[in-house]
Amino acid sequence: MTSGSGPSMKWSRRSVLKGAGLGVAAAAAAPLLAACGSSGGSGGGSASGSSKKVIIGSFQDPAMAPFRDKYVKQYQQETGVQVQYSETSYDAWYQACKSDGLNKTGAYDIYVMDDNWVPEFAAGGIVQNLDKLGLKVNPDILSKGLDQGYWPPKEGARLKAFKNDTPALYSLVIIDDVNLLYYDTRHFSSPPETWDDIYTAMKKKAHPPQLYGWSARGVKGNPVVQTYLPLLNSYGGNFVNDDWSPGFAGPEGVAALERLLTFLPYMAASTPEFDTDQETSLMLQGKCMALTEYTGTAVTEIDNPSDSKVVGKINMATTPKQVKNGPAIGTFICGIASGSPNTDGAVKFLEWFTSDRIQTQFAREGGSAAVTKTALNDPQAVQKYRWLPAIAQSVQLSTPKPRTPDEPKFEDILGTQLNLALVQALQQKGGYDQIAQKYLNVAKGQMQAVLEQNKNIYF
Amino acid sequence: MAVTTAPVRPSEPGRRPDAGRRAGLDRALPWLLLLPAAITLGLVSVYPIYAGVHASLTTYLYGRPVAGAGLKNYTDTWHDPVFWQAMEVTLKFVLIAVTVETVLGLGLALLVANVVRGARWIRMSILAPMTVAPVVVGVIWRLIYESETGFVNPMFTSLGLGAPNVLSHEGSAFFGLVLVDVWEWTPLLFLICLAGLQSIPQEPLEAAAVDGAGPVRLFFNHTLPLLLPVLAVGVVLRLIDAVGTFDQIFVLTRGGPGTATQLISIYAYNTAFNFTDYGHGAAMLIALLAFAFLLVLVALSLMRRAAKRVAQ
Repeated sequence: MTSGSGPSMKWSRRSVLKGAGLGVAAAAAAPLLAACGSSGGSGGGSASGSSKKVIIGSFQDPAMAPFRDKYVKQYQQETGVQVQYSETSYDAWYQACKSDGLNKTGAYDIYVMDDNWVPEFAAGGIVQNLDKLGLKVNPDILSKGLDQGYWPPKEGARLKAFKNDTPALYSLVIIDDVNLLYYDTRHFSSPPETWDDIYTAMKKKAHPPQLYGWSARGVKGNPVVQTYLPLLNSYGGNFVNDDWSPGFAGPEGVAALERLLTFLPYMAASTPEFDTDQETSLMLQGKCMALTEYTGTAVTEIDNPSDSKVVGKINMATTPKQVKNGPAIGTFICGIASGSPNTDGAVKFLEWFTSDRIQTQFAREGGSAAVTKTALNDPQAVQKYRWLPAIAQSVQLSTPKPRTPDEPKFEDILGTQLNLALVQALQQKGGYDQIAQKYLNVAKGQMQAVLEQNKNIYF
Repeated sequence: MAVTTAPVRPSEPGRRPDAGRRAGLDRALPWLLLLPAAITLGLVSVYPIYAGVHASLTTYLYGRPVAGAGLKNYTDTWHDPVFWQAMEVTLKFVLIAVTVETVLGLGLALLVANVVRGARWIRMSILAPMTVAPVVVGVIWRLIYESETGFVNPMFTSLGLGAPNVLSHEGSAFFGLVLVDVWEWTPLLFLICLAGLQSIPQEPLEAAAVDGAGPVRLFFNHTLPLLLPVLAVGVVLRLIDAVGTFDQIFVLTRGGPGTATQLISIYAYNTAFNFTDYGHGAAMLIALLAFAFLLVLVALSLMRRAAKRVAQ
């Protein structure tokens, strides 16, 4: 017996179910669709009515803690100017400040940005030209760090529309974050100079899982690209060439990836799932001979007894060279919002924070990655924080990433294939040159397709 | 000239003079009462869809809408191999996860339906995973799967099976995510099936039992057909929800290794918000919406056919 299954009842139930199902589907998809459609909507926060107040927005990051907790207050005390600081997650802040700048809402004066936002923010008029605002740049700021704020870039490939423009400063570096080599002094008496030196040492000493020879971020996208870039640059390859063609699938790029793959037998078998936390935890437990990572690990973790079993045992140096040194750079950088209600105040604050006095204090009190040469080599600071000279040297030897708003897409393409190369190399345990060539060729093809699709922007 | 006049109807006994106006008001009242809900629905559901469709027909440059795109974003999506790869992963994920959840949810409901002692506690413990926020579920399972500190690797190693490193391989990562979804959402189907089982009239079941039907025949010939309408609602809800799965995958794998766990939701998010290609991202989400509609229609049609076959 099928109770309630008469024709009219069945039709009614079906139509109700169908209607409800489609309605719920529509409602479920609505928020994401709305988010896409409202990219030009208004940002959060309220506009300042006071011309004295400076409003700074940022993403959350441990490296920003001293800036937020100390220097914002210190500026208020020294100048009497009120500074309002707010922060949110990285993704949320990127959307919020972009929306604020596109609409000139005026909710913020200063945006703390990741340096790969500069092309989009400068080209899109989201941040203002600091040269035109009369910002006086401290001449002691390391030039490679400062260059991250110029648009169009001083070196490398340029978008077609900006080919002949004179570079102008659109953002000012506040933290010189750069790749460093971290090595355990119990296994290396001096910093290894080349990638081959590291390989030789790990072959001799590593015995996983008690002691890994190397640790790396392997997750697809940005993390594994950050692992690969210091190798690629040092082997003489380029992420993109000056004509935008992918520069990683040539012999240099293949050799660089092959070298990374040869480290795999001495690395954790789960490297393809490693991000920074897993990568650095091996070093903090004393289970890893060396790795490359940004400066935050040195500043906040390595010598912190509550996090680290290797206090005082890890040293830092510039990432190894093969034909040259090639650390990747990823600065924290500040732009002044297109709708800033207090541009004068914002300019003064940035000049103050990047001044010699404050930068030296920034380095001395906490060992932060200051942006001036003097601060990073200040004897008093260096005595306490041994990584500072390595930061100064690495910034000047660094290679920037491609300066285009499509850089995250290029990273995703390359990062997906690098991740797959790691997975296959772990399974295959050999034939690394072929694996490297295969996956880099796939990435090259996909990147060329993106360039072709957007050829009106690039060529 | 003869003048004809319409016959005047005698006034109905007891009818008041303003009865016509009252009748009009009575007719309008339901619509008026629906108005606030309709406006709210329009604002929170229809407008976002409109905004999404509009975005999908727009070209953006450096975050600004610069021109109409016509159907370019849709043709780009159609010719994007990564989109189709993501579609395939999404379809596989949804079908496997929802099938397992339905079978397990129904099985658990049948087991628990007749439990008398401790039934409340059993139900509560089964329902617990559903109450955890998806992003927290992602974090919990990341800690479980974590190769260095999680307990999956040591468990397998102690059994002599070797560390599986779940999230490091394409196949195991995919099924690892299916397992997370099953863990979280089987309780929903359990709850729906349990409610359905408790509302089934007992007389036909008792009559069939008296006629000698065994438990298996009783289930397939009587319980399941009576339960199908309720089950259909549960399956449809889960299908729609599973198509848009995002949080757990974002926390656990971000779509990797490679593209093994890259569902459309993850790819569209990256396209729109990481690659700032809003138009293309919106076109993908419209395609996802159409895909969800299609899945719902197919699921309903299949269940209706099954109900018919069982009824015969």
